[in-house]
Amino acid sequence: MSAAAGGSLGPVGIGAFRLERPEAGPAVLSIDGEHDLHTAPELRRRLDELIGLRDPIVIDLSPSTFVDSSILGVLLDARRRASEDGVTLALAQSDGSLAVSRVLEVTGLRGGLPVHESLEEALAEAVKGSK
Amino acid sequence: MSGGPPQLKLTLPARSDNVMVVRQAVAGLGEAVELPDQRLADLKTIVTEACNNVVLHAYPDDEDGPLEVSASINGDRVEVVISDQGQGFKPRAESDGASLGLGLPLIASLSDDFEIRGGAGQGTRTRVTLGFEAPEASQNGAGEPASAADRTELAVAPGEAVRPVLARVIGALASRAEFPLDRLADTVLLGDAVSSRGPDDFADGLIAVTIKDADGSLKISVGPLVQGGAGRLLRAMDIPAGERGSLRKLARGMETRSASTPEGEAAEYVEFEVAR
Repeated sequence: MSAAAGGSLGPVGIGAFRLERPEAGPAVLSIDGEHDLHTAPELRRRLDELIGLRDPIVIDLSPSTFVDSSILGVLLDARRRASEDGVTLALAQSDGSLAVSRVLEVTGLRGGLPVHESLEEALAEAVKGSK
Repeated sequence: MSGGPPQLKLTLPARSDNVMVVRQAVAGLGEAVELPDQRLADLKTIVTEACNNVVLHAYPDDEDGPLEVSASINGDRVEVVISDQGQGFKPRAESDGASLGLGLPLIASLSDDFEIRGGAGQGTRTRVTLGFEAPEASQNGAGEPASAADRTELAVAPGEAVRPVLARVIGALASRAEFPLDRLADTVLLGDAVSSRGPDDFADGLIAVTIKDADGSLKISVGPLVQGGAGRLLRAMDIPAGERGSLRKLARGMETRSASTPEGEAAEYVEFEVAR
């Protein structure tokens, strides 16, 4: 999976979402570029849809260069709803941007969500939880 | 580039798709003065969260009022002012992508100093100062949780914004310090007692509170107060608070301190600590 061009200080990374749904294994939703209040509703819609399919989900924050509190709110909410519906949802951020790392640390959500340090770890967690 | 220190001013409709524009503009200013990466990241978060407050809370749903931003560099500090001409931070029942109240604590955590002023019909103004060096995080090695400026100084102009802002900020800090629910309620009651004091008791005419997060407890300092203001606030704390005794008993080590303001005027402070 390719990372977004540029680090946290790179060119303006307009936010995008990329979904991979392999034959086997969890669906992986990658959050790419900068995301905030404006893209939060789209993220919420996509996660609602995925949770509705009841397959395990991994959210990969590695390519994201910025997320704000509204995105964190959507992630927290998705995690809660997934767990209520018996859907496993795991998060990952490896070699991520400084801006995203900072908010995860400061809010305590790296441990609280939790956010795994590699995509492999998150994938394993999602598979394990769905069994 | 010529002229004075770098600065920018930006006015645009308070819409969610404009927050990114403000973030990039202010980040550009930070880059121009070679703000270290970590502080640039913090600056982007702070500006975004302050703009979110305006977009979400300043104006009625069907109205895009102005979002005004100014940023300037003063020596080794960046100062950003985000203001609106709205009705104050009105709580909303439901907004898509609601921030769950993480916005203000993030601003408090990442800035060196922040101040929100507002009141009925006069708009809200958030002023944030951020040094080029992170207060503590720069000394911590990698792996340490990024720690924030451990002190929050809040000054709110008298009016309807005082109670919600105080309750929200104190509540947020207590919640972040993992206060159990009943203690959380106590901290909000203490905030209410402080906001019940009129502006006449405060030396600057602003309801001023400094909150320090000290390892599981909050050290709260109210002031600068005018002479006699500390006594009046303490008496206000003596009012009964149901089965918990008086409000004063909710806090420990309540004391008054006399000191002078940065302007050299005599002032009083009421200080107390709330523990988990």
